[in-house]
Amino acid sequence: MFKDITLGQYFPGHSFIHRLDPRTKILAVIIYITSIFCIKSFLGYAVLAAFTVLCVLSSKIPFKFVLKGLKPIMIFVIITAIFNLFLTDGKILVRWSFITITYEGVRLAIFMVLRLFFLVLGTSILTLTTSPIALTDGIEYLLSPLKKVGVPAHELAMMMTIALRFVPTLLEETDKIIKAQTARGADFESGNLINRAKAMIPILIPLFISAFRRADDLAVAMECRCYRGGENRTRLRELKMKKGDVFGWFALVCLVGLIVLANVAYGRINI
Amino acid sequence: MIKLTDVSYTYMTGGPFEKAAVSDVNLTLNNGDFIGLMGHTGSGKSTLIQMIAGLIKPTSGTIEIDGQTLHSKDCNMRKIRFKTGLVMQYPEYQLFEETVFKDIAFGPSNMQLPDEDIKRRVEFAADLVGLAPEILEKSPFELSGGQKRRVAIAGVLAMEPQLLILDEPTAGLDPAGRDEILCKIKDMHRRLGITVILVSHSMEDLANITNRIVVMNHGRVAMHDKTSEIFKKSEELQKMGLAVPQITEICEKLRAAGLPLSEGIYTVEMAKAEIEKVLKK
Ligand SMILES: Nc1ncnc2c1ncn2[C@@H]1O[C@H](COP(=O)(O)OP(=O)(O)OP(=O)(O)O)[C@@H](O)[C@H]1O
Ligand SMILES: [Mg+2]
Repeated sequence: MFKDITLGQYFPGHSFIHRLDPRTKILAVIIYITSIFCIKSFLGYAVLAAFTVLCVLSSKIPFKFVLKGLKPIMIFVIITAIFNLFLTDGKILVRWSFITITYEGVRLAIFMVLRLFFLVLGTSILTLTTSPIALTDGIEYLLSPLKKVGVPAHELAMMMTIALRFVPTLLEETDKIIKAQTARGADFESGNLINRAKAMIPILIPLFISAFRRADDLAVAMECRCYRGGENRTRLRELKMKKGDVFGWFALVCLVGLIVLANVAYGRINI
Repeated sequence: MIKLTDVSYTYMTGGPFEKAAVSDVNLTLNNGDFIGLMGHTGSGKSTLIQMIAGLIKPTSGTIEIDGQTLHSKDCNMRKIRFKTGLVMQYPEYQLFEETVFKDIAFGPSNMQLPDEDIKRRVEFAADLVGLAPEILEKSPFELSGGQKRRVAIAGVLAMEPQLLILDEPTAGLDPAGRDEILCKIKDMHRRLGITVILVSHSMEDLANITNRIVVMNHGRVAMHDKTSEIFKKSEELQKMGLAVPQITEICEKLRAAGLPLSEGIYTVEMAKAEIEKVLKK
């Protein structure tokens, strides 16, 4: 039932990208996202696409699997594209009764689609190649300078770890409850909106109850192991930058350089 | 009749965690049988029965119930689900109503039966699983684990299905309660002539109440035969990480020691009769 949700899923492996330090990957994604919005030309997107393809290839994750992450946002992408296509002023390309399509509209629509795709692809590569634990470790480390101004970095990271950890569990549980209630003849598909909302009750109540029970159990289990927050905690696995990370940063600098070049070129030759 | 043709099921197809849970199962089960389903942990029992109950669609292959192919165009899945009752493994989590009565009534009221019919069925089912009448007005969330289990089982029994599937219904219940529930289910099977599929890890339970047994091994059907025939193959069963009832083991040992007992003894009563016969000679 929830087979299509790949967002936030981890795809275990030992590739170059998998072995990069999570801090490198998080910062890389931030730079990647920033550059998505700075690119002004198709040439720039070509550079970005090449970089993305290289990343996916070296991560050894099947392309099909990465692209599956795009499915849930398809409707959103289409709506955005349509809005941009029809509602942008500029040089008129086609005019048909009340519909006008402008050159700028086409360009902007394509740009928006590309931006959304790259946004999802970039973040998917991060979550697919980084285990949730490594991810939150990285975030905690990157947030730790903010501890001085009172940001509870460790607690935030712990909350994120737990939330990520329980996404699949809750999905599985929902699946099980839906099956059990379907077997008892519950009907989720027919009827008007109110009936359908009512049909959710037999799913939501057991789900909430089990979520609360799990939270309770987890809290007790953590206390039993003397967990008491971030002060003075040491780690089993310290984060360490390795040789691979140097190469990663080098690749990233190249990417940014090429994009800047593409933008400069755009000012001159306009493609 | 339930007919499975080349049925396979794969979890998370295409993903990194792809897992073939059931492969190429061909199986024909007759109406009115009490069928035991056994196999080691993770052998695909729960997956198989969920397919039979029409909750998940086979990745490949077809399932026919009384001539109707599940998930085909001219098949009303909801009607089929009213004919099949499935008690899932650890079914306690499916409770959600304010009172036990209302929760047991959830299935029958989905079938849109008249109120007095629902009431009769709920009381019948509650009695069947040994729930005292005063419990019916309590909230299901203030019951003990075993009581919750009984309420969940009653919720399915109240639908009076023609095909009743139970996935380890008695795991975690006390011995007396377990025997009582199984006994009542056997009784229901005899009186109403329904088909029952019981998944269990207890060889004693299976030996005592089933007349046919299906053995699963790594997602495939390893054996399908009369209960007496299955328990003759203790060696094969042991290779699959399963066992035979203790009484069968004892009889095998007695036979090895020279007592001329016949093969395929799997209940204490049979053993008693057989040993008495041998001793009289
Ligand atoms: N929701 C699921 N997602 C992914 N894999 C699953 C899922 N459910 C079961 N599996 C896998 O399918 C295989 C068969 O599982 P199944 O639950 O059918 O076994 P079982 O015979 O019922 O075992 P048990 O005796 O422990 O109940 C197992 O290897 C399990 O890991
Ligand atoms: Mg099971």
